[in-house]
Amino acid sequence: MKEKKGFTIWFTGLSGSGKTTISRLVQDRLRERGILNVEVLDGDVVRTNLSKGLGFSKEDRDINIKRIAFVCNLLTRNGVPNIAAAISPYREVRDYARKEIKNFVEVYVKCPLEVLIQRDVKGLYKKALAGEIADFTGVSDPYEEPLNPEVLIESDKETPEQGANKIIAKLEELGYLSRVTKKNVYTEEEEAKIKKRLEDLGYL
Amino acid sequence: MAKNKKVLIIGLDCAEPGLIFDRWLDQLPNTKFLMEKGMYGELESCIPPITVPAWTCMMTSKNPGKLGFYGFRNRSDYSYNGLSFATSNLVREDAVWDILSRLGKRVVMIGIPQTYPPKPVNGYMITCFLTPDTNSQYTYPPDFRHEIEHLVGNYILDVDEFRTEDKDLLLKKIYEMTERRFKVVRHLIKTKDWDFFMMVEMGVDRIYHGFWKYCDPLHKKYEPKNRYENSILEYHKYLDQQLGEILTLIDDQTTVFVVSDHGAQRMDGGICVNEWLMREGYLTLLEKPAGVVPLGKAKINWPHTLAWGEGGYYSRIFLNVKGREPQGVIEKERYDQIREELKGKLEALGNEKGECIGTRVLRPEDVYPVTNGIPPDLIVYFGNLSWRSVGSIGLNTVHTFENDMGPDDANHAEKGIFILYDPTDQGQQRSSPLSGLHIFDIAPTVLHRLGVKVPSDMEGKVIH
Repeated sequence: MKEKKGFTIWFTGLSGSGKTTISRLVQDRLRERGILNVEVLDGDVVRTNLSKGLGFSKEDRDINIKRIAFVCNLLTRNGVPNIAAAISPYREVRDYARKEIKNFVEVYVKCPLEVLIQRDVKGLYKKALAGEIADFTGVSDPYEEPLNPEVLIESDKETPEQGANKIIAKLEELGYLSRVTKKNVYTEEEEAKIKKRLEDLGYL
Repeated sequence: MAKNKKVLIIGLDCAEPGLIFDRWLDQLPNTKFLMEKGMYGELESCIPPITVPAWTCMMTSKNPGKLGFYGFRNRSDYSYNGLSFATSNLVREDAVWDILSRLGKRVVMIGIPQTYPPKPVNGYMITCFLTPDTNSQYTYPPDFRHEIEHLVGNYILDVDEFRTEDKDLLLKKIYEMTERRFKVVRHLIKTKDWDFFMMVEMGVDRIYHGFWKYCDPLHKKYEPKNRYENSILEYHKYLDQQLGEILTLIDDQTTVFVVSDHGAQRMDGGICVNEWLMREGYLTLLEKPAGVVPLGKAKINWPHTLAWGEGGYYSRIFLNVKGREPQGVIEKERYDQIREELKGKLEALGNEKGECIGTRVLRPEDVYPVTNGIPPDLIVYFGNLSWRSVGSIGLNTVHTFENDMGPDDANHAEKGIFILYDPTDQGQQRSSPLSGLHIFDIAPTVLHRLGVKVPSDMEGKVIH
């Protein structure tokens, strides 16, 4: 029952595309399978501690991603499943992470820029378009799409739940998670037994 | 706090403060010792004060709305029969043992409701009465069961055949279950390395529901000098002895908690909620059932039904809303009006003589900061929980004094018990009970006692 395999789910995608939302759902799905020790390195959070002080120049962005990759590698090789959810816009440094980390699963959360500008949950696109934020990925700084990600989620067409399901299916396919064959906790007979017990006890 | 601080929680499902703190305290020396040397008070439960979700609220410090379950069974969709059980798989929030396990602290857990199916922890777990039987995987690690079975033979998850008039047999079964559980508790306290140890005994709830009328002179069915007059008292004395034995096994670095998830009170009767809804024109049948049947087996005329209710120690009312339920009829713009109308009528519903019983009707959005999952449209405490909700159809009455499922004498009450005893903390003694304690306060208090940072999203406070 206990999963001991470490792996890294490496999200990439523009700001506001849904990386954090989907990563939380994946965490829930893993928890349902009894995997409680998942570590999440969220881009916004990492920049407040591990990479505090770094800016958004290409050099600083690369250092940030290399630091995240370093931690992910440590976790993975010690059997701790982990999720990195940062924009990680440059292909070269993502490929660096892939080389460093064993059991690497790249997840590209794709969403057209127009949709993101319309959504603009954090209000960042408005500021970037007005020139108030420099080096903003997708607006004033490039985003290099992954050429061959393990999972592609088109967040303008798919729900976060569908996205999370895709990731879990990929983890199963790659053998990092064992497949769940029984959907329900109880068989029909067991469910009837529990229902009768709770009725007898007055709960239902 | 020192690194080797430990916490032991004795959970007594349903334990009623009125009995333990007041009526029988002088006959419960070990409990009295903990109260006098430690601190204690009534512990307000969650809404609703029911085993599921209450223990999970206690150990996650999250409200039922946040957890997304409002009782043992919850709607998984808006169909008319889409109720599913709230198993451990539905618990998405960290409980105390998840946090402690991640920090490398050792945990031992026995019988905590909503822990089936078992999840990995840094230690040992025996699941709860929501486990089908001991053929199921009821321990973590799976082979830990052999140690338990070697010790007590067949481990008893819960009393079976609870609805019986053979009270001698019921008493025997309750004692047998409790005796085996405490044997396991003593064994694990002595043989395992642990920082956090928690057990929940269900026998208290079972004996209250089965024997309250024999012990409470105010109960309608009480008969003086009956042979079970002292059955609940004797059981509490037995539990107190068990507590005393446990206290001899722990060191002075162990903080002891004795807690319950809610309290209990006499049950005055049952309100047949669906019979009432039919009488008031909210629920229509296609045909009258032959005899008494559960709502799920009745033929309901959904296009002519506005609402239906669930039975239990409290009631949940669901509205049949157009565009939401498969054959919904209530237009969205009339939802609030009909819900308010029902609320008012339910609050005004009296006993069989028409006297006010103080029914409380709650709107989920008023009592929970968020409502994850599918909440009921209304939550009803008939007679402020002194009447139960009877969901069956075919009783042809609104008030009943015979339960649809067999004898039951007690209902739940909103206040449970809290006792905390730290052998090293002499400053904690109080002459009067603490007030303002809430079930959400237990998890942060446990973490604090173990020197672990309390997560900022826990809803309770540390009890000092």
